[in-house]
Amino acid sequence: MPETDQPQDAVAHLDGADAAVIDRPGFDRRAFLRRTALTGVGVGSVSTLLAACGSSASSSGSGGSDSVFGSHPSYKFVFVNHVTTNPFFTPTQYGAADASNLLGCSYQWTGSESSNVNQMVNAISSAVTAKADGIAVALIDLHAFNAPVEAAIKAGIPVVAYNADAPGNARLSYIGQDLKKAGEKMGERIVSDVGSGDVALFIATPGSANLQPRIEGAEKAVKASGKPITLHTVATGAAVPGELSTIDAYWVGHKSTKGMYAVDGGSTESLAKVMQKYSLGGKVKAGGFDLTEQTQNLVKAGDLEFTIDQQPYLQGFLPVLQLFMYKVSGTLSGIYEADTGLKFLDKESITPYVNSKSRYEGTSTAAKVVSA
Amino acid sequence: MASVAGGSAAETPPAAPRDPGHTPRVPLQRAVFERVISLREGSIIVVTIVTAIYFSANTSSFFTGANFETLLPYFAPFAILAAGEVFVMILGEIDLSIGAMYLFAPILFHKLYADVGLGLVPGVIVTLLLVTLVGALNGFFVAVVGINSFVATLAMLFTFEGLALIISHGTPVATPGAQVPLDTFGKVFGGGIYSELIWAVAIVVILQVVLTFTRWGLYTVAIGSNKLGAAEAGVKVKAVMIRNYMLCALTAGLVGIFEAVRSATVQPDPAGANEILFLAVAAGVIGGTLLTGGSGTIVGALIGALFLGILKDGLILQGVNANYLLFYTGLAVIVAMTANVYVSRARRGHSGSG
Repeated sequence: MPETDQPQDAVAHLDGADAAVIDRPGFDRRAFLRRTALTGVGVGSVSTLLAACGSSASSSGSGGSDSVFGSHPSYKFVFVNHVTTNPFFTPTQYGAADASNLLGCSYQWTGSESSNVNQMVNAISSAVTAKADGIAVALIDLHAFNAPVEAAIKAGIPVVAYNADAPGNARLSYIGQDLKKAGEKMGERIVSDVGSGDVALFIATPGSANLQPRIEGAEKAVKASGKPITLHTVATGAAVPGELSTIDAYWVGHKSTKGMYAVDGGSTESLAKVMQKYSLGGKVKAGGFDLTEQTQNLVKAGDLEFTIDQQPYLQGFLPVLQLFMYKVSGTLSGIYEADTGLKFLDKESITPYVNSKSRYEGTSTAAKVVSA
Repeated sequence: MASVAGGSAAETPPAAPRDPGHTPRVPLQRAVFERVISLREGSIIVVTIVTAIYFSANTSSFFTGANFETLLPYFAPFAILAAGEVFVMILGEIDLSIGAMYLFAPILFHKLYADVGLGLVPGVIVTLLLVTLVGALNGFFVAVVGINSFVATLAMLFTFEGLALIISHGTPVATPGAQVPLDTFGKVFGGGIYSELIWAVAIVVILQVVLTFTRWGLYTVAIGSNKLGAAEAGVKVKAVMIRNYMLCALTAGLVGIFEAVRSATVQPDPAGANEILFLAVAAGVIGGTLLTGGSGTIVGALIGALFLGILKDGLILQGVNANYLLFYTGLAVIVAMTANVYVSRARRGHSGSG
């Protein structure tokens, strides 16, 4: 495709063309394309898409699609998730849905509701049996998915990882945050903010491959600094009410703690609530990951100094895009390691998140251009 | 495989002499159908077959050899869990702690293998012995102390899920003996494609025989029907109850190890285990075992598990998303169970007329 790296160019191009009709109710493709472009992420790939769609006047119904990529079947991609009903992944599902609509594909969201690895393995087997065109899986375990992923690839089904990665797995690419680097950045922040003393690190499920690397990264950064900081890793459990009472109890029992940090969305929200309850903002250093609505509000209120965004929307959008490109290019293109980022949000920079409701945060179902 | 417990033992004999008289007048298919639904498991068999036909007709990949293999882990582990649970349910009790045994056994196995230095097979044996002891403890609290079984086993569920988290430090580890390529140990204990199926069928057959033809089975049904009467008739009620709880814990521990070997990982997260527990109890009830006790079938539990497995696999093959999966599963179970009730009524009417 032409090297129209400017999203605006692509939008102009699109505006000149007849907008294709996507026969799904409530889907405004033009608005979708525009806001996708304006997010300015993955600029290269997105603008390629825009140009592609702009020059296509065909509909993308269920019976295959005749786009700039040529006539292609309506590919079906399966997302295997560890907590299918967890609100963190609501934007991920919107991302997958939007990319599927854009490209004339469909997606299925399945797996386990409760981090049950056996159920996830079963879901991969079902996807292979159903002859899915591609699989995206959150590799939350270091061992469980090696054989199933190899089996899928052997059956000719491309597999990418999203949200969590396992070293040594045969997946074609990983789409998500570089978890260890995220932990290191947090560790550097701990070093500069706290300096010395006891620091608690809260983690929902220690050892899970989507969280543990952040702890390891933080430990590495603190160790490298040589500062007299003692890290205490505290397991909080996977359910928010339990996390809240664990963190509350930890603070009550360890009031000399200089800093408290969390490495998962649930623990971060709970940590923020504890900070608010005891009015610790400014007295104890604190920060975490992800953007639940509560976390956003409490960062805005100053109870939590920062939270780190990893763009869950893109973790649904990009797997569909990569798998689609891989299919239409006959395996020549599409696959790349995609770091969905590591964005520190503080009291000021979180404002646009607090003030908006969007599919990117999972707080709105409506497709619309978000005004900053 | 005919009938099992107390009541049905009386049902079958009258049906037998009646059949010859009917054969000339009733068409063959109808006779076969009536014969099938006159079984205790008959109605759930019909419902399961209808479900399978539905998915075969609507999903091209359902009725394939590949899906047969895919389907196995959707039901085989639950069939084993439910087989043990049925023995407790026939007593009129429940064992919720199977969720904890399922979670705890592989963690214990890993501990024994990695830290104590036992071999793979001795590790499994010691694990199962210890888990069975926990089952005895369940039985002790219910039968001897007299705590309500729901509460007693719920407490044990929490205790041993907690203990599982404590001794594993909440960290998943690789299952011993499950590294690829699988050796004989891995293939036998859950890793082989047909391993869990073979275990499930073997366990179901053995336990069905125990339930139907042995004194142990007879006593179990007698206690569930009338505990006091059984005691007065000389049945050692407490011993039988404790034994059944031990059996239930043993099957749950075995499944825990199979599933850990199959996925090559030992997971300490209790959330997944709690879901397993409810599916196992559901498989037993759907299969025709009464929660109130006094009647039950192991083969039915296998078919109940098969029904739930077909439902889930079929819905996933059809492309149903997670949020809808629960919804459809719920609706399907209600529809199937409604059908089950009506088929059972037909069955009772049928055998009642004989």
